[in-house]
Amino acid sequence: MSKFRVMGLFRDFEEAFDAIADIRQYKVPGVSVDNVTLLSPIEHPEIEEVLGERPAHVPKFTLAGALFGITFGFLFLASAQATFLVQPQGGKPVVPLPTNIVLTYEMLILFGVLFTVISFLIGARLLRKRDGMYSEMVSLDQVGVIVEVEEKSVQPLKDLFEKHKAVEVREEVSR
Amino acid sequence: MSLKNILENWSQYRRGHEQGGHHEYEHMWGMAIDLNKCIGCNACSVACYAENNLAIVGKHRYSKSQAMHWMRIERYWDEPELEKAGLVTKGKTIETGASFLPMLCQQCNAATCEPVCPVAATYHTPDGLNAQVYNRCIGSRYCSNNCPYRLRYFNFWSYYEDSWPEPLHMQLNPDLSVRDKGVMEKCTFCVQRIRVAKDEAKMADRKVIDGEFQTSCQQSCPTDAIVFGDMLDPQSRVTKLWKTHQVELGKSKQSKQNPDKRGYRVLEGLNTDPCIMYLERVREV
Amino acid sequence: MQTKDINEEIKWAQINKDVLRSMENPRKAYWVAVGMCLAMLACAVVAEIYQYRTGMGVADLNWPNMWGLYIATFIFWIGMSHSGTLLSAILHIIHADWRKPIYRFAEAMTTFSLMTAGLFPVIHLGRMWNMYWVLPYVSDRGIWPNFRSPLVWDAFAIFTYLTSSALFLFIGMIPDLAICRDNARGWRKKLYTVLSLGWAGTDRQWRHFRKTYLLMACFLIPLAVSVHSIVSSDFAMSIMPGWHVTTFPPYFVAGALYSGCAAIITLFIILRYFFRFEEYMTIPIMEKTCKLTFAIAMVWTYLNLIEFASTWYGHDLVAKEVLVDKFVGHWAPYFWAMLFFGSVLPFTLAFEKLRRHLPTMFVVSLFLNVGMWLERWMIVGPTLSMAYQPFAWNFEYPSMVQWAIVFGSFGWFGLLFLVFVKIFPSVSMYEVKEMVYHRRRAHVEDQAVAFHRRAGDGQPVTDTP
Repeated sequence: MSKFRVMGLFRDFEEAFDAIADIRQYKVPGVSVDNVTLLSPIEHPEIEEVLGERPAHVPKFTLAGALFGITFGFLFLASAQATFLVQPQGGKPVVPLPTNIVLTYEMLILFGVLFTVISFLIGARLLRKRDGMYSEMVSLDQVGVIVEVEEKSVQPLKDLFEKHKAVEVREEVSR
Repeated sequence: MSLKNILENWSQYRRGHEQGGHHEYEHMWGMAIDLNKCIGCNACSVACYAENNLAIVGKHRYSKSQAMHWMRIERYWDEPELEKAGLVTKGKTIETGASFLPMLCQQCNAATCEPVCPVAATYHTPDGLNAQVYNRCIGSRYCSNNCPYRLRYFNFWSYYEDSWPEPLHMQLNPDLSVRDKGVMEKCTFCVQRIRVAKDEAKMADRKVIDGEFQTSCQQSCPTDAIVFGDMLDPQSRVTKLWKTHQVELGKSKQSKQNPDKRGYRVLEGLNTDPCIMYLERVREV
Repeated sequence: MQTKDINEEIKWAQINKDVLRSMENPRKAYWVAVGMCLAMLACAVVAEIYQYRTGMGVADLNWPNMWGLYIATFIFWIGMSHSGTLLSAILHIIHADWRKPIYRFAEAMTTFSLMTAGLFPVIHLGRMWNMYWVLPYVSDRGIWPNFRSPLVWDAFAIFTYLTSSALFLFIGMIPDLAICRDNARGWRKKLYTVLSLGWAGTDRQWRHFRKTYLLMACFLIPLAVSVHSIVSSDFAMSIMPGWHVTTFPPYFVAGALYSGCAAIITLFIILRYFFRFEEYMTIPIMEKTCKLTFAIAMVWTYLNLIEFASTWYGHDLVAKEVLVDKFVGHWAPYFWAMLFFGSVLPFTLAFEKLRRHLPTMFVVSLFLNVGMWLERWMIVGPTLSMAYQPFAWNFEYPSMVQWAIVFGSFGWFGLLFLVFVKIFPSVSMYEVKEMVYHRRRAHVEDQAVAFHRRAGDGQPVTDTP
């Protein structure tokens, strides 16, 4: 059974949100707010109120990266120093803590940042081919609402979008 | 595995200079220079040029202060202490002559030049020497900046190109290298001579005998102001001199029973623990 | 008199149009500037080739003045890189939205001045072809760099900072690159398609974007502080009088922010003129930047005075002698110039009339940076020329080679910067849209109430007022 995607483009957030509010109240049978994707030129500050809480796991990766940076950083430095006994001591121990703290700190930040960025690329589904449902108007000033639905809900959804003064409504068979 | 290495030897790797360091010393080469005997003749400096292939930089570069004298005789004309005591008047010291201070690398045991080198080109040998590895040096010159005695010299140019015009290049000492531009260098306590002496001693299955060899500055000193030797050998001349003058290694302030003893180390308060003791000059007024 | 940071009635489509236009037809002055930068860079390249082949002697460095303008300029450029982060990350975290039109070029400044700074430690090496020995790579001889050396810390810090700030700049630019992608043609289209990573502006992307951007901002602030304190350790960790100073890390950070803010003012005025950004880089935003610069200038002045006072009050006679030499000796002219440009001149920023006058601010900001450059030289120079061993007191007179390389580094920075602002949007389009959107909403009372409530509790407000 093939699924369809319907996109409505709206002039501003308010109109798009009115449409989503109707979907929330199940005005279109078989379509829930969880199937809605919002495309927008900026992030609306109260987006959770409209779409509900949706997860973003970036901070967990950041924490993991920072912890990895600390552990790896210190062990790397200390083991390098412990195998390199001719290193200049200047009267200091082979594994000097104050200097290693400085470098471990840098490693913490480096790996924290790298893990954050990688988790962002994965979590935000970047670095892959964009699917067809996109309008260049979104990067300009319009707000798009994409809903994934069964075939029978396509027409009611289109009507709903038209009712809320959508500038343009498109549909396509989703892969 | 190096992780195992850290865990097993952790306490040893955490021992600094104050706790005796992480290894035992085989030798501890040291020196004593008697300023009473120094007549400022510069023979030591010349001998050092000859022994260590020091570049002769020429008048122009010398005036730009790009010379390479590992061993230098510092001259001081002012005598602030005598002036304070009213024994000499300022500017009149020229009649009493200058004070001389032969300065060569102090081979500090807690050398400040060492930890700042980014590539570990200068390090402490088990002989107690502060070694400079020319091949490893990348010329960041941080060591010179962090040497309170300013005893490190940098090859600003490829001096060898014109320092020894033919046939003078025949006089170069084959026991050590000629340095190219971009590396730092400094006094090594004539490490090539130390090497030979140690090898010979090893071959004959004995210890290095005190006085078996001399550094070139010591050898050329007409008044025998410089004494060099192994400070781990209790019978060596240098050890005895240090003991007589109540100067000890590993201290930033000496506790002398007899304040009349003349021994001191330059800038000892910086806790660099230098291996050269100077004997103060006693002046007639 | 314009009092609003930005025209709140401006249409989103107009923002796209204005910024995209800037990437295509700048004023003629832009091309003149590019030409000048190329010429300056050429000077440095010629000088550097000469120095590389002949040896460091051509720089007229000497014993014991082993570091000269190179290291001073290195600190200068590292310092300049700090304000991009300050403006962007700190102001982002405290929700100061006036940063939005100007943070993009400030961050670019951070990245490019770091790329300029990174050249100097290489240039000043006696054997620069062995530079890579400073990196911790596994070698079959078991040789590592010396992790005790502040120079190795520099290498780590610069690498981390360059990576993080370039990523911060890039991540923050992705939505704008998508805008460019949707509007460009030809090679630009291909470039932006690759760089925008497939950004479509979905709610999932925005959600992750917001968290990522905030987290990176949180990392960048301590990182920026640590980077310049590490640079200060090159001096503070040493044993030399005048360098071995406890207040150096905060002093360096303050100096860094100071010169960076002054540079932002300079570049602000230049960009505003080149790309006709009068609508976005407005006088009120300029004023806010000036006020910030003034505040930091006073912090810097205070830390300077503290350093003098503690040296003067302490019993380290050698350090005292170096200080006195700065005030009345060989270095006095430069030193007093530094104090004038760094501590007296910023008082022009305290007057509203002057603050709003762009030509005045342009000149003042340039001189503030001259002062900050002198500060760095006053850190490096005097201690080298006068330290413990009186016999080794000696001065250095930098040769034309040094001056040419220092001069050319400005060309290199300028060139990178000018190319960047031509290829990438130098005003953040999506964030200016946000700024306009939020400010417009703030005028509608019930929306403003809901907005403020949300900012406080963090949970979605379910009832609509």
